[in-house]
Amino acid sequence: MRGGHLLHPVLAIAVVAAFPMQARSGIFGKNQPLPDWAVQANKTRTPDYVKDASAVILYDEYVEAIDATGRPTERERQAIRILKPQGRHNTCAVGYDVDEKINYFRVWTVAADEKQYMAQDTDFVEAGDTQIPVMLSTYKERIAHPPAVDVGATVFCESEEVLRPYMHEKVWRIQNGIPVVFQALEIDLPQGGHHAEAWHSFKAVPGVEVAPGHWRWEVRDMPALDLRDIPSHPEWEALAARMSVQWGDAAVEGKENEWKAVGAWVTGLEADRPQPSPEITAFTQSLIAGAPDFYSKLSRITENIQKNIRYFVVSRGISGFQANHAGDIFRNRYGDCKDKTTLLISMLRVAGINAYYMPVDDRRGIVDPEVPSIYGNHMIAAIEVPADVNDSRLMALAKGHDGRRYLIFDPTNERTPVGNLPAYLQGSYGILSAGPASQVLALPILPPEGNGNERKGSFTLGADGALTGQVDVTHGGSGGAELRLSLKDSDEKERRQALENSVAHDVPGVVLNSFQYVQPAELDKPMELHYKFTAAQYAHSAGPLLLVRPRVVGSDAMAFNDKLRTVPIDLNATGRWRDSFDIALPAGYVVDETPDPVSLDLDFASYHSTVTVKADQLHYERELVVKQVELPASRVADFRKLESAILMDEKGTAVLKKQ
Amino acid sequence: MRLKHLLFSLCCLPVAFTSQLRAQFPAPTKEELEMTSDPKAPGADAVYFYREETTDDSLHYHSVYARIKVLSEKGKELATVRIPYERHNFKVTDIKGRTIHSDGTAVPLTTKPSDLVDVKTKEVQINTAVFTLPSVEVGSILEYKFQIRYEDNVVNSPDWDVQQPYFVHKAHYAFLPAKGMYVITNSRGEALNRLMYGSVGGIGEKVSHKITGGYELDLTDIPAIPSEDWMPPQNSVNWRLQFYYTQYATGAEFWQKEGNRWQKEADHFAEPTKALRESVTQIVAANDSDDQKSRKIYAAVMKLDNTDFTREKSKAELKSEKLKQVKDAEDVWKQKSGSSDELALLYIALARAAGLHAYPMQIVNRNHAIFDPTLMSTSQLDDYVAIVSIDGKDVYLDPGQKMCPYGVLHWKHMLASGFRESDKGLGAGTTPATPYTTNLVDRIADLTIDPSGNVKGTIRFILRGQEALHWRQLSLRTDENEVKKQFNEEIRRELPEGVQADFNHFLGLPDYESNLLAMVDVSGTLANVTGKHLILPEEFFGAHAGHPFVSQDKRMTPIDVHFALMKQDAVTYHVPAEFTIENPPAPASIGWANHAAFKSSSTVKGNDIVATRTIGYNYTVLDSKEYGDLHDFYQKVAAADQQQIVLTRSQTARGN
Repeated sequence: MRGGHLLHPVLAIAVVAAFPMQARSGIFGKNQPLPDWAVQANKTRTPDYVKDASAVILYDEYVEAIDATGRPTERERQAIRILKPQGRHNTCAVGYDVDEKINYFRVWTVAADEKQYMAQDTDFVEAGDTQIPVMLSTYKERIAHPPAVDVGATVFCESEEVLRPYMHEKVWRIQNGIPVVFQALEIDLPQGGHHAEAWHSFKAVPGVEVAPGHWRWEVRDMPALDLRDIPSHPEWEALAARMSVQWGDAAVEGKENEWKAVGAWVTGLEADRPQPSPEITAFTQSLIAGAPDFYSKLSRITENIQKNIRYFVVSRGISGFQANHAGDIFRNRYGDCKDKTTLLISMLRVAGINAYYMPVDDRRGIVDPEVPSIYGNHMIAAIEVPADVNDSRLMALAKGHDGRRYLIFDPTNERTPVGNLPAYLQGSYGILSAGPASQVLALPILPPEGNGNERKGSFTLGADGALTGQVDVTHGGSGGAELRLSLKDSDEKERRQALENSVAHDVPGVVLNSFQYVQPAELDKPMELHYKFTAAQYAHSAGPLLLVRPRVVGSDAMAFNDKLRTVPIDLNATGRWRDSFDIALPAGYVVDETPDPVSLDLDFASYHSTVTVKADQLHYERELVVKQVELPASRVADFRKLESAILMDEKGTAVLKKQ
Repeated sequence: MRLKHLLFSLCCLPVAFTSQLRAQFPAPTKEELEMTSDPKAPGADAVYFYREETTDDSLHYHSVYARIKVLSEKGKELATVRIPYERHNFKVTDIKGRTIHSDGTAVPLTTKPSDLVDVKTKEVQINTAVFTLPSVEVGSILEYKFQIRYEDNVVNSPDWDVQQPYFVHKAHYAFLPAKGMYVITNSRGEALNRLMYGSVGGIGEKVSHKITGGYELDLTDIPAIPSEDWMPPQNSVNWRLQFYYTQYATGAEFWQKEGNRWQKEADHFAEPTKALRESVTQIVAANDSDDQKSRKIYAAVMKLDNTDFTREKSKAELKSEKLKQVKDAEDVWKQKSGSSDELALLYIALARAAGLHAYPMQIVNRNHAIFDPTLMSTSQLDDYVAIVSIDGKDVYLDPGQKMCPYGVLHWKHMLASGFRESDKGLGAGTTPATPYTTNLVDRIADLTIDPSGNVKGTIRFILRGQEALHWRQLSLRTDENEVKKQFNEEIRRELPEGVQADFNHFLGLPDYESNLLAMVDVSGTLANVTGKHLILPEEFFGAHAGHPFVSQDKRMTPIDVHFALMKQDAVTYHVPAEFTIENPPAPASIGWANHAAFKSSSTVKGNDIVATRTIGYNYTVLDSKEYGDLHDFYQKVAAADQQQIVLTRSQTARGN
């Protein structure tokens, strides 16, 4: 668990006299009648297709008025009807940061009995973004808690906000967790202004120029996106429909040009940030002194940042997008993803290696190559690999349009070695921000060899069913990195508890006798786990028979069901996972029957498993290889076939017979 | 709850005292710099070398100082310090800090701390001051101090949370109360001219009262805050000490006087007015027994709108509907709506109006705290329950818990202490716990297994007591569809891997006095089929269920399982005709005297196997000394739940 040091709040418990706060002027409005748009929206019948939704958005309209500098002022009007008790939490909120301003925020309710109410200033709460321990953020939300929000009521919200001046894009999220009957977006461009729009997970709707430079898009009857009962689904936001409209430098013809403009904007924003300070220069030079090759030079720098720069986010207005200066990051030894990337680029510059910012999203599928946008939540680096460098350790390579090779690296992930790539980024897209050479790049999907584990177990089974033994596991690739990260964020007691719970899932009643994690200092070396345990009643007798499961610990099966599948299947990561267990049988018992071998080869994965008997030993061996990170929904039958085979193999029981 | 006093709304005049702030950071010792682990806190990610909290209520400030050793990557999290405070009266000042590397190099805090809004309403604003120390490494010493200053018209007696997330080697606490305390008054205008304190963890005995009028507490080797599954509320285990300005000389006097005040207010609210007396004649018949009257009144109160399960109307709605703010039970009855506490007191008013001996009891909600008699504050009391005397016997009722059957308390109100009234007057009391027989979960499955090992069938759940109450109360806050979804999600976790559950329907969801029935369809792959055998889990539900207290072999804190419970399973497997069972598993019986029992057995009738399993525990809270027995019991249960049934394929079916 990451976390800051939280002290208890200090509250005033003693006050001489009340000092009533002055009522704010105008921002919330004072008993104004329901506006006409709301009166009209209230006439909307709740459509039948809402089914068991807890609420429905009847009307949602954005108008973005762009001034001559490109700065937008956004007006939103929204009407939400509450359909179920759990829908009462659906209310309105306006978020803002230090460089934004709410002009007004008014909320009305038409109750189920048609009585009308307007929210007063006591019905609003302002909430800061202070709950994330590793973040310092000035972002706030003004949240309305209007009267009479109950089943059958409709809430109407109207707000106007001057948005941040540097963001010339609107991401219009047209799909929600509840259905939307009608929604519209307008942009009102300054004279001579241009725009460019793109749609994600939705067929493009043509915009209508309702006045010169004033465009409007409308979408009707958008269903809710509900992934609640769908196992192994991609990220919700990767599937949800949205539209992005640009009106700044990225409002140009052609997607390639748009991406180039988005990347150029990032390049400009961060231009002076990686400038190496004298301290950075001196430190880096001493760090890489004597490095024999490109990889050594690179890994000394990346590991230094991974190990020594603490993750801490400072987000204050534009600093949510723009990194701190490399010198400050180096001195303070903390920073967020942008900062870590900045320091990396800075140190690599000292080492004579070119590297670039690469905005991404750490949820696969959200950055869409067909939708040029700055939409994303993370920053990583694209490191240019010289043409003469060919090193098999540099697996995470992506090729640019110009043929240059870039090594994709996430310095925020403190445990994935350079050359490898965390599973969450594989198969995703990133914006190479390299000035005029900016472009969107597909991030690589690594071969199975880049990830996985090898588990070996040696056990002794007693005639009373007791099992004792030792398990040795090596974890490599992104899986090993995830394990290292979980160790970093846990103490000894938590590690023991997590391991005990994990083993007890397979071996109920287990007693963990000892365990040891071995983490080599070099991140590209696999980490090891060794543990010994005893389970009193692992095997169960049935008359002269003794039943024992050859697959003792570890599960490779993913969740699946037999329901109709419409969304893709997220396989999480490529990799190769191997188990090999030997169980010494009790004296006087012979093997009567073993589970059948499993051999399944599919284009995206393979699974092989065997149980053999050698003298008094039962030997179990299996290998799962996954070659892709996502499958289309149409492949669900193959996915079920694979997971079902794994599950049945894991449950397989060998029957021993008393001689 | 509208009845509560604002006991600690105080006021005072400013008085000047000399500040005793630590001016300089002390130099670290060689041992501190070189330390890589701490034998007093093995495996710790960080330790506090020293913590100091000082409050001067005359000069109106708290000061905090900490010196911390970082021993692992995780320990670096202590470099970020968050100080929540109420912005209207308080401000955070004089923040200073530094990081000392293990070579002795000190890096000062130079970045300006941030002052962030946490929550802001028209009435109150809570901010958080945040700073993060620079250049932190494993092995660093973190050092910081700050002050929280408050207005001259405010006093703020301290609440010392002595235990921290990490081990503390040495701690010093000091409190200099406001002098001239005669000017401190509460919201009722009463002069608070005395000072008292209460503590948890036995640390109160170590407080020294100085000749200067101040109080000091010095402690060494303070263990980290415990964190274990199924712990009782933190307030009952964490060491802390709290000071109060008060008008009372002793704790006994406090509880007596405040109790009298509480009783007066509760009785005033629950006054059986003329209107209520008239109303109750419509609810009960003159010749009803006391028990019948009580049950009828309880049912009438249960029918009313409980705003804790729906929502409270805003002032604007009340005004629009020409309703006034509720002031007493008669208002609640007229409006047919009230909060849980108001409905509990309405029950008492109506019962009294019907001539019953009914009494209010206000208790601490056991879901978040345990009543602490050393804490001189009635604000720790949360919820009202009702006690009615039927044939000379106290019957505890929970009219504020919608859907709670008559005679049953919600588990959060069981074994909960607080004030109660009785025929003898006011007193302290503790509510009873119910035995395991009142909280039942019966699972009856009828499953057909095909020769490939696939399963199809139904499960009937019969829930009574707390288990039924949980789902019924959920149905008030959501709709039935959502309850079904959540029920489905919960039972899936207990089914064998490969088996799917699809909720079918509930029976008796709105009828809180009856059992709750839930029907679920199941399908999927259950049995393991080999050439000769078909192997089934004997315990359809137990085999995959997560058992508590199995993996952890030691325990520091008491165990609180919320309520006693019994689960009974009866699973009928219809197996294919070509398989026969030769050796049914031996019956299992595991006992833990006076605490818990487990039994399982299987019987065979033709091609049907009936596997039964019963587990019950008749405890709610256990001392940590009993953990060994608890651990042993559940280890045996977990192993017994893995028992399997082996069926053998007939020779004919094998093709021999």
